[in-house]
Amino acid sequence: MKKVKMGIISFEHMHAMAYAQALMEAPQVEFVGITDDDAFRGTEMAAHFKTTYYPDYKDLLKEELDGVIICTCNKLHKDMTIAAAEAGAHILVEKPFATNEEDAKAMLEVVERNKVQIMTAFPMRFHPAILAAKEAVDRGELGEILSITGINHGKIPSGWFLSRELAGGGAVMDHTVHLADLMRWFTNSEYASVYCESGELLHNKGIDDCGIVTVELDNGVFGTIDCSWGHHDNYTIWPEVYMEIVGTQGVLEVEAFKQIARVFDVSANVVEDMVWGSNADDGLVQEFIRVVQTGDIPKVTGMDGVRAMEVALAAYRSTNSHKVEPVIHI
Amino acid sequence: MLKVALVGCGTMGKTHAQGYGTIPNAKVVAVCDIREEEGRKVADIFGAKYYQDYDRMLAEGDFDVVDLCIPTYMHKDFAIKAMELRKHVFCEKPIANTVEDAQIMIDKAQEMGVKFSIGHVVRFFPAYKKAIETIQEGRIGTPKLIRTTRNGAYPSWSWQDWYSNYEYSGGPLVDLVIHDLDWIIHHFGDVKRVYAKSLNGKIKGQDHCLVTLRLNNGAIAHVEGSWGYPQGAIFGSTFEVIGTQGQIEFDSRKSSPIQKQTNHGTFSCSFENPLQPNEEPYTHELQVFINAVVENQAPLITGEQAKKALQVALAAIESSKTGQPVTL
Repeated sequence: MKKVKMGIISFEHMHAMAYAQALMEAPQVEFVGITDDDAFRGTEMAAHFKTTYYPDYKDLLKEELDGVIICTCNKLHKDMTIAAAEAGAHILVEKPFATNEEDAKAMLEVVERNKVQIMTAFPMRFHPAILAAKEAVDRGELGEILSITGINHGKIPSGWFLSRELAGGGAVMDHTVHLADLMRWFTNSEYASVYCESGELLHNKGIDDCGIVTVELDNGVFGTIDCSWGHHDNYTIWPEVYMEIVGTQGVLEVEAFKQIARVFDVSANVVEDMVWGSNADDGLVQEFIRVVQTGDIPKVTGMDGVRAMEVALAAYRSTNSHKVEPVIHI
Repeated sequence: MLKVALVGCGTMGKTHAQGYGTIPNAKVVAVCDIREEEGRKVADIFGAKYYQDYDRMLAEGDFDVVDLCIPTYMHKDFAIKAMELRKHVFCEKPIANTVEDAQIMIDKAQEMGVKFSIGHVVRFFPAYKKAIETIQEGRIGTPKLIRTTRNGAYPSWSWQDWYSNYEYSGGPLVDLVIHDLDWIIHHFGDVKRVYAKSLNGKIKGQDHCLVTLRLNNGAIAHVEGSWGYPQGAIFGSTFEVIGTQGQIEFDSRKSSPIQKQTNHGTFSCSFENPLQPNEEPYTHELQVFINAVVENQAPLITGEQAKKALQVALAAIESSKTGQPVTL
């Protein structure tokens, strides 16, 4: 099969590093180039990943790319998606899909019109532990699912992540979506309503950093998502993606980042959990490469990203109203 | 030496009996249980007098304290009868099934001038105590996000299966989760708003609930309680307190110094957590109450505090039924 031409728009989101590594290593990919508003970062990354730096994203898109990965700040997902789709490239967009319903609609509309695929970057869908949990549920080992408790803690990010304007919100926007996607996937049901208590409680950075989102799905399953940036600086690991799934015939707990070995580093005075488990980003990028090669519908669609974003948006409404809010589907 | 009458010889009664065995300033002199065999077994440990009938015990017995280890729906009537005879009362949690009953008990204790305390024993669990001490030293800054879990299988072993009648037991929100509600309210602050999801007894032999609390001071708490684990599951409790300057985590299933796997015909796995007798939480809570009676001090855990936890648990039930948050 002919090599596919691919590129990355922006390294604003740090996940771009893992995606670039995967593109660089994929034999079926011609890693055409990257673009970034920050010339220093752009040239650094281009050098590191042995590709070309394009100061203007429009120039990168003129290279007749087959696929593009968008890792800008959340707010720019819409503009970059429109530009990429109109240039005829399939798209992998970082989560959250967008920061509001209007942008999300515009993005879905433009990919439809240009007959390209759009995929949402939910790497946990490709994590072997999450997949094993999903298979156990699908085999009926737990009976019927009744409730899911989810925790997605992490350390507080920096830069544009702390800008409501650029990120669309804080922890509730950043962290609700991963588990919202997994719970919807595990239960095969859509979200009905959301209640949320959230706020700026831990870090004093001017944006929500703590939240408990309670969800109810159409099939009656309920659950909570703890989306807090709840790991302090010296916590032994950055991420936590945990679900406790309670069914009529059993309970399954999955913690994606539990395949660790604990490192005690005297020189840096650091205790750190080093993950030896599989890298989920690889699976995500391999799936996107497959989509770019075949034009197939991705395993994680744009609509999957939209449905998760809708939960975060309802959570913000509920935080303000102190009421249960319906999830508004576009 | 205080003289104690122990009422109810089920799981909690037997646990309390064990506690009194190492309490130097109290002695069990009377034991009451409608099941003669169970009652006599416990009475014999102490050489105490066995009674099948509670009223008879109250009429005949000579004791200072009544310790109630009976189903929740019996708490009020049993406590009131004892208080009217000026007996001090230690009552297992939850205080009652309704706030009205709790208030009647509190008022009666006040009126008769007797000590009254409730077995919110989690406050005496060493890990929970140590965490609070650490937080009070300021080591994690101001607590802002509190998570607790208390998860196990359905309590299918209860006398006449009274747990399954939520009119009697209140279900897991009132019977199980109340432990953590008391711990949170007492140490982290009063509750402003409650939102909860629960199966509310819709499924036979299984229940599960998730509660979100917003405290008056702005902190958020997530409290999970389960009677939904498969029969045979190892009971577990956890807490996680995240403050502005750090965090504390505890998981009972990862903190046991003894994990035993054996096979004498069938495989068995158990976790054990041995402690010095005076640090064993059930003994400790009883010792603290006995000392309060002896020294004529207010008990550490008051009826008012227990009522507060009950109010939040009942608000959680209301929220889970109406689907809307409840503001207290």
